[in-house]
Amino acid sequence: MVTLTIDGVEVSVERGSSILEAAQKAGIGIPTLCHDKRLIAYGACRLCMVEVTARGRTRTMPACFNPARDGMEVATQSPKLTESRRKQLMLLLRSHPLLCPSCDACGDCQLQNLVHEFEILELPFSRETRHFHVDNASHFIRFNMNLCIKCGMCVRICDEIQGENELSFVERGMECEVSTDFGRPLNCEFCGQCATICPVGAISSKWLVGTGREFELKKTNTVCAFCSLGCSLTLGEKAKKVVYVTAPADSPNEGNLCVKGRYGWPYVYSEERLSKPLIRKNGSLQEVDWNEALSFVADRFKNIKAGSGGQSLAALGSDRLTNEEAYVFNRFVRTVLETPHLDRAAGFTYRGLTDGVEPMLGYPAGTNSIREIRDSKVILLVGADLTETHPVAKNEVIVATARHRARVIVIDAIQTKLTYRPGMHLATSPGSEYLILNAMLKWVLDEGRFDKTALALRADGLDELAASLEAYTADKVAELTGVPAALITQAAEEYVNAPTATIVLTQGMNRIGFNVEIAQAAVNLALVTGRIGKSSCGVHIFGEKANSQGAIDMGLGPELLPGFLRISDEASRAKFEKAWDDALPATAGLSAREILSGDGGIKGLYVIAENPVDTYPDRATVQKSLSDLEFLVVQDMFLTSTAKMAHAVLPVASFMEKTGTFTSAERLVQRLHPTFRSPSVKTDLEIFVALAAVMGKPSMTYSGPEQVMNEIAGLVDTYAGISYDRLAEGPIPWPCVDSEDPGKPVLYEGGFPRGKAQLAPAPNPAALAVDDLPFYLVSGILKFHSGSFSQWSPSLMEVCPDGLAEMHRNDLKALDLKEGDTVRLSTGDGASIQLNVSWSRRALQGTVIVPEHSSQVKLNTLLSWAKPVVKVRVEKV
Amino acid sequence: MKERDDILKRKVQKVEVVPPEELAKLDEIIDRYEGRPSYLIPALKDAQEMFGYLPMEVQRKLASGLNIPSSHVYGVVTFYSFFTIEPRGRHTLRLCLGTACYVKGSKDILDIIVKEVGINVGETSEDGRFSLEAVRCLGACGLAPVMLIGEDTHGNMDPKDTTKILEGYQ
Ligand code: SF4
Ligand code: SF4
Ligand code: SF4
Ligand code: FES
Ligand code: FES
Repeated sequence: MVTLTIDGVEVSVERGSSILEAAQKAGIGIPTLCHDKRLIAYGACRLCMVEVTARGRTRTMPACFNPARDGMEVATQSPKLTESRRKQLMLLLRSHPLLCPSCDACGDCQLQNLVHEFEILELPFSRETRHFHVDNASHFIRFNMNLCIKCGMCVRICDEIQGENELSFVERGMECEVSTDFGRPLNCEFCGQCATICPVGAISSKWLVGTGREFELKKTNTVCAFCSLGCSLTLGEKAKKVVYVTAPADSPNEGNLCVKGRYGWPYVYSEERLSKPLIRKNGSLQEVDWNEALSFVADRFKNIKAGSGGQSLAALGSDRLTNEEAYVFNRFVRTVLETPHLDRAAGFTYRGLTDGVEPMLGYPAGTNSIREIRDSKVILLVGADLTETHPVAKNEVIVATARHRARVIVIDAIQTKLTYRPGMHLATSPGSEYLILNAMLKWVLDEGRFDKTALALRADGLDELAASLEAYTADKVAELTGVPAALITQAAEEYVNAPTATIVLTQGMNRIGFNVEIAQAAVNLALVTGRIGKSSCGVHIFGEKANSQGAIDMGLGPELLPGFLRISDEASRAKFEKAWDDALPATAGLSAREILSGDGGIKGLYVIAENPVDTYPDRATVQKSLSDLEFLVVQDMFLTSTAKMAHAVLPVASFMEKTGTFTSAERLVQRLHPTFRSPSVKTDLEIFVALAAVMGKPSMTYSGPEQVMNEIAGLVDTYAGISYDRLAEGPIPWPCVDSEDPGKPVLYEGGFPRGKAQLAPAPNPAALAVDDLPFYLVSGILKFHSGSFSQWSPSLMEVCPDGLAEMHRNDLKALDLKEGDTVRLSTGDGASIQLNVSWSRRALQGTVIVPEHSSQVKLNTLLSWAKPVVKVRVEKV
Repeated sequence: MKERDDILKRKVQKVEVVPPEELAKLDEIIDRYEGRPSYLIPALKDAQEMFGYLPMEVQRKLASGLNIPSSHVYGVVTFYSFFTIEPRGRHTLRLCLGTACYVKGSKDILDIIVKEVGINVGETSEDGRFSLEAVRCLGACGLAPVMLIGEDTHGNMDPKDTTKILEGYQ
C-alpha cells in the first residue's frame, strides 16, 4: 500500500494504482475523456492533468497513467489546471461539430458535460469542418466520425477486452478516423462495446437514433436472460417500451455485454409473441381468455389424474424460470399434479457436468467466480468455445492472455477463436476430451508433481484413482485421440507449473454423453494439483441458459427437492412435506429422456418454456411421444414447434416484465426488476398459483416472488441468508448461510461440506464406438443465438439468419463443394438433414459443425441417446 | 438522418483486383516475417516494392498471413504517406508545400499541375504518368521552391517552367 494526499485528503491505495484511482477512492473527481477502468491507461486527452509535489518539486502530469507513490501531494484543482483543461476542451471543439441538438448522445456526452462544467462560452479561434459521411452500413452500430475526439477507447476496448481487433485509426490529421480496413461494414461480434464506451456520439447504437435520449429514458437494472453468466443490464424505457439496453459500470460484468444481451432483446416486442392463451378446438389452436384456458387445463389434468393417477402426468421445467418460479413449479408438480415426473429437457449437458462434480466436492456447481479467470496463468478450456457460448467470459481470457501473459490450453474438436491466443490446441474428436484430461492427470501422478500429504488431508480415493488411470498413458491416449503424446504431456506440465490455473467446462460441448466423465476428470486434475478452494483456480461450469444453476438449486430434477435434497431421503421429504403441507411422492420420477421416449406411460405433459421438438435428441421419437399424449400444455412466449403440437398454450411474461432472481454460473443470486407490463400478461409464477387454485389447491398461494424467496431462504441452506432487501444492495454468491454472510465467490476455501473431497476413479479408456463415416458431427453454438429462443429476436436474425454447416476448406474442395451449396448430412441410421455449407476457419478437417439452435436445420434429427458421438456422410444435393 | 448522410459524402476507395497467382508471390514475404508482428512495416514495404502499391487483397493476405488484424494493417498503410493503396504513376511528383517553398510560389506550381495534369494531391493521372504528393519541407529551403520528380530534384523553380519540366518525363 502507498499513502498520498489528494487535495488535502489522505488516501492509501495498492501499489501500482494510478493517481486517478487513488483520487476516485478518496471521492475526488478528476475530469477524464480517454479513461475507462477496464482499459490500459492511454493518456490521450490530457484532461486529467494534476499538480504533483514530491521531494520538493511540483510537476503537472496526467493522473490516469502515473502511479500513486508514497508521500505524494496531489492538487487536482488550480487556476493553471483549469486553464489547461479549458484549452484542451477548446481544441476539441475546434473540429467537433456543434450539432448537439440533433445528436443522439446529447445528455450522455462527456464532452458536452465538461464543456458545460468548464463554462466554455466562446472559442478564441475559427473552427474547422470535417467531412466524413455518417456510416450506417453496419448492423446495430452507426459511425459519425465528425464527432470523434480520438480518445481511442473504441479501438482499445475492441482490442483489449473483446480481442476482436476490428477497429483501427486510419489516415492522418483531419482525415483521421476510426474505421475498419477499407471502410467495410463491421464483421465482428457486434457486442456494441465500442458504441457504449464512446464518450461522444461518434459511435452509437442505431436503435437509439431518433428514439430517445438518455435523460428521457426510465432506467431499470435487471439481469440478462440469455446465457448463464448473469450480466447486469440497464433497460432504458420510453413510453412503456424498452428502447435501449446497456450495462451498469459497477456491475459484476463491469459494463461489458455481448451481442445477445445488448441487442438481442427485441424478441420481447416480436410480432409473433403470444398475447392470449390458445386452446385446441376442433383441431386448431384458438385464442381464448385466461379463465377459459385455465379451467380447460385444470379439467384435463384432473381428468387424467382421476382416470389413471398422478403418475400418468409429467412436467418439464426450464432453465429460464426464475428461482422463485422454479421452486413453486416444483411444489406445483409434486403436490398439485401429484407426480414425481419432473425434469428439464434442455439442461442435460449442464446436469451431466454438475452431477459429476457434486459427489466429489459437495455442491453441483462451478467453484470460482468468473472475474478470477483474468488472473489465472493457465486456462484450460475443455470444449469451451467461450467466444460463441459465453462471450463476456471470453473477455476474461483475452485480458488474461493479453495483459497477464496467461496461456490457454484448448481441448476441443473446434478450432475456436481462442486457439489463436498464446497457448496450444489439442484438437480431439468430440467425446474424447476426458481421455486427454485423464492422460494429463496420469502424467502428473507418475511424475509425482503434486503434494501427496496435502492431498491426503483434503481428498480420499487417490489409490483407486491411480489404479484406474493405469492405462491412460500419453501414448495410449494419443493413439485413441490422434493428439500427439508430447502435446498432452506439455499441456499437463504447463497446467501443473502455473501458479494459478483454471479449468472451464461449458455446455458448449452440447452433446450427449461424457459430461459426467469430463467433469470428473477435470475435478480430479484440479484436486490433485491443489487447485480447488483457491482463487483464480478451480473448475468453472457455464450452463446454457440464464438460470441453469438455479433450476438445479430449486430441484427441477426427477430425484431432487430444492437445496440438492433427494426425494428418496426420508428426512428431506419430511422437511418439504411439512413446509408444503402435503404428501410427496417417495421415489424419484422419470427423467426427461424417459418422459420423451414415450415408454413411460405418460398421458399428460406440462412443458414450461422449452422446445424439445427442436432441441432434444431423437427428434422423431420426441415428436411421436408428444403426439401420442392425451394432453400437452406448453407455457411459452412463442408458438414454438412444441407449442404447435399442444392442446393448450399459455403465454407468459418475458424477463423484462417480471420480478424474481436468477442464479448465475458463478452462483450469484441476482434480482430481476420489471419494466412496464401490460395487465393481460401473466408471469409463470402467477399461472402456477392460479392453476393450483383452479385445481383445488388454493393453499398453494404466494403474494409474489418475495414471499417465495423468503420461503426458499427458510428451507434451502445455501440461500438461507438471502433476502430481497439484501439483494437490493447487490448480488450475493451462494452459499450464504445467514443474514450477515456475504456469500462465497470461491467455494471450498475453508474445506468441503462433507469434510473431505472424493476423487472419482476413471472409466476404462476405450475408443469410441462410431459409425464408419467420414465426418464427425459437432454441434456448434453461435454467439448470436442461444438455443432456439433467440430466433424470435429480429435483430439477432438480421445478423445471423441461417444455420450453416461449417466445413474445412480442404474438405469442401475434396467434395467439390462451393460455399452456399446445399448438402445432405446423413447418419448410419439413415436420419438426414439438409442445409447450406460454408467455409469456416473453425472447422477442423474431418468435422462438420452444425448450429444446434436452428429450428430450420433441425439438428436433433441426427442426435441420438444411443450414439453420443455422431459421424455423418456429407453429400451435395 | 438521410439528409445528413447525403451532405457528407466520403470519397469512395477504388479497388484493383490482383489475380490469385500474383497474390501467391506474397507467400515469400509472409514466410520471411511470420510470427514477428512488429515487422509489419518492412513487410508492407517489401510488398509495395513487389506490386507497386498495396491494394485490398494484398493487405488482407498479409494481415492473415502475419496474424495482424486487417483493420490495423490498413491503419498503418493509411498513416504513412510512403504507402499507397492505389497504383502510382510512373513518376512521382513530390511538391514541397513547406513554409519557405510556399512563400516562394509552390502554391502556383500546384495550381498548374492541377490544371495541366488534372490531378490533385494524392492522385494519379489517368494515363498512369504522374502521381502527385505534397510534402512539408524537404530540408532544402535554400532551393525553394522545390519539387522532386522520382529521384531528380528541381530547385529554384519558376512556376512558369513547370509544364516544360514535366514534359521531360513521359
Ligand atoms: S461491436 Fe464489439 S467487436 Fe465490433 S467493432 Fe465494436 S467493440 Fe469491436
Ligand atoms: S469514435 Fe468515440 S470512442 Fe472512438 S476514438 Fe472517437 S470519440 Fe473515442
Ligand atoms: S454473456 Fe450471457 S449474460 Fe452476458 S450479455 Fe451475453 S448472453 Fe447475456
Ligand atoms: S484521462 Fe488521462 S489523459 Fe485522458
Ligand atoms: S519549405 Fe520546401 S524545402 Fe523547406
